[in-house]
Amino acid sequence: MPLEIALGDALVPGMLLVYLGCLLVLWAVDTIVGRYGLYRYVWHPSLFRVAVFFVLFGAAGLLLYP
Amino acid sequence: MSAAPSELSIQQRWPWLREFLVGERQAWIFVFKCMLAFYLAAWLTMVFQLEQPSTTMITVSIVMHPQSGMVLAKSFYRAIGTCTGSLFALVLMSAFPQQRELFLFCLSLWVGLCAGGAVLYRNFMSYGFVLAGYTAVIVILPAIDNPYAVFNSAVQRVSEVMLGIIVAGLVSDMVLPERLRQVLRRKAREHYGHFIDFARGSLGGAIPRDEMEQAHLHFVRAAVEIEDLRSTVIFEDPEARARSSRMQLLNVRYMAAATSFQSLHHLINRLKRNQHPRTAGALIKLYAPVGEALSPPADQQYVPRLIATRLEACEPKLPALAARLREELRQDPDLLLEFDSGAALLYRFVRELHDFAALEAALRETQGSLGGTVERISFRRANEFVAPAIAVVRTFLTLAALSTFWIAMNWPSGTTAMLLATVFSGLLATSPRPIPATVNMWIGVALGMLAAFIVVLWLLPGSDGFLMLMLTSGPLLMIGPYLTTRNATLPGIGSGYMLGFATILALKNPMVYAPERLFNDAIASLFGLIMCGVAFMIIPTVIGTEWLRRRQLQQLRRQVTMAATAPLEGLVYRFESENRDLLHQIVQFTKPGSAESRGQIAWALAVHDSGRAVIELRQDMLHAELPPPIMEAMQRAVQSLARLYDEPDQARWQAADRDVDHALTLTRQTLPQARASCQPALAHLLQLRTALRDDESALAPYIVKAPENSHAS
Repeated sequence: MPLEIALGDALVPGMLLVYLGCLLVLWAVDTIVGRYGLYRYVWHPSLFRVAVFFVLFGAAGLLLYP
Repeated sequence: MSAAPSELSIQQRWPWLREFLVGERQAWIFVFKCMLAFYLAAWLTMVFQLEQPSTTMITVSIVMHPQSGMVLAKSFYRAIGTCTGSLFALVLMSAFPQQRELFLFCLSLWVGLCAGGAVLYRNFMSYGFVLAGYTAVIVILPAIDNPYAVFNSAVQRVSEVMLGIIVAGLVSDMVLPERLRQVLRRKAREHYGHFIDFARGSLGGAIPRDEMEQAHLHFVRAAVEIEDLRSTVIFEDPEARARSSRMQLLNVRYMAAATSFQSLHHLINRLKRNQHPRTAGALIKLYAPVGEALSPPADQQYVPRLIATRLEACEPKLPALAARLREELRQDPDLLLEFDSGAALLYRFVRELHDFAALEAALRETQGSLGGTVERISFRRANEFVAPAIAVVRTFLTLAALSTFWIAMNWPSGTTAMLLATVFSGLLATSPRPIPATVNMWIGVALGMLAAFIVVLWLLPGSDGFLMLMLTSGPLLMIGPYLTTRNATLPGIGSGYMLGFATILALKNPMVYAPERLFNDAIASLFGLIMCGVAFMIIPTVIGTEWLRRRQLQQLRRQVTMAATAPLEGLVYRFESENRDLLHQIVQFTKPGSAESRGQIAWALAVHDSGRAVIELRQDMLHAELPPPIMEAMQRAVQSLARLYDEPDQARWQAADRDVDHALTLTRQTLPQARASCQPALAHLLQLRTALRDDESALAPYIVKAPENSHAS
């Protein structure tokens, strides 16, 4: 993955796209978990959500930019 | 160990102290969260080496709100607004880099349009519009002398604003959150219980008119309140999001059942007044099994599943009882007709109440999403375009005047004045009393600036490092969030204080010490705020004025016209929700119990009753077997009703009365030949006629007594 990507001739960091992608994945996971009411098994849902995001973003960042 | 008994004794001895302590606890939790968000945002901005931590801090001070759902909802729209504003800034800068007049003209127009949008969308979406204007200004103004830097400026500002939004959202969502979802659940249950109680309590039949008006007002407030909460809660809770369309459906069923219930009681009241107590009594007897179904054993009174099954069991018994009661009545065709129409209304009410209770039960019993799909319905808002248009003109003129002043005086601090005027004209445009609000904000901003001067001029020069920054600015900054929690008694001062403090503290990366710039900025900010206040004095707001209320009342009357002419698809929902939204807006600013308020509610009841009957009648007219001449007569009746509510006067009342009467006579004549198609339409026509001739309703001044007088003589 390149460090910077040209979007309409403006250079944006590749991490920004990864970040937005992770937000999308988080949104999907969140919807599914909410749909089946699985947040009952979690102590602090919003903390859990943020932790999931960190895991996703960290994993994607480390895998794509070793 | 020793703390517990002493606390207990405090509770017993001084209940007010306990209340005070609970309130203080809430307030200090909020203050703590605000401080955490402020310094976390500032620290992250410095770590990421962005230029102006102060922008991040201002963002946090605008976004923080004691309840979590509000922050996330505002943040969502604010993010959209920020992106839009910065894009507009780039376009504007590339279009007129050298034409300052055209440039400032377009900028003023944009900010004006954003303020108009903020007024048009009254809920938290209005924030998005305020910030689309604000971001455009903060992106452009630093780059105004150096157009090449505008792209960098846009990137920096958008990053800072977004960082502020994210930090504020995370902190208020994760640290000791206060959930709106619980509030929504509590409110929904409260309203459900109130409605069932009311339906049960009216077992005796007649409800006095003012009690009915109060109940109507309560139903309206309940429907609007639940919709407001629902649209906010879906941002904080995925489970609520999955159930959102069901909750909308529940609200719609609630509104439909409330309207049918009111129509039924109007009918009974009118029958009693017109000396037909036997018919009224028969209807009340017919209502008795419903009341019984609503009164299960006391400990299970509010279990919706039980009520739904009991209603379901009671529904098939009603027609038989109705037939028996009908036998006992005097066999006068007019009275029998009245009774039939009342019975039809009652069946409708029971069906709708059953649907409502069954859905409430389904929502309470299941966790997570419910299987299957439901039809998509939405709560339609009734919008008014005059108030937003005035806000656009006022804001445009304010900013145009400031720009002219700036150009003419060659004023170096013009940018700061423009910035503050933009923020406040957007935020204050929705306020019903903007001039006192401006004064309060002004005091708040002035106090905040004073505190920031103390910090910047005396405390900061001797300190070093981020920890020292927190220690020196923290205690004085803390006053701002604390004042915000006292919004009921000191509205606007808290948010003004935080904004003023963050503007003057003006954290830069690296920090500069420039007292003369601080004073210039302070004067310019206060000047911009005064310009806002002056604009509100010259072009006063129409929100909450009598003129706007009269206009909205006219719009409410025209809801019947809409019910008569708009396409039928989804019309009941649209009619019910728009009615309630409008009435809610109208009664917000009238004194309860005054003559004006009574007039408004009388109109609302008339519109509700007749509009719903018109819609039902139009649905009956779709019946294939209806003979064409009757269809034409009904169509004429619907049209003349639409004209009457559009612009009520005596001539139109006469025309409407004649047409409805004509359709009614025709339908009754054909009834023996085409019972299936005429029976339901007959009930609704009759309901319309009784509503027209009701001399206690809002239409009373237009009623012409002539036909009855000639009859009597």
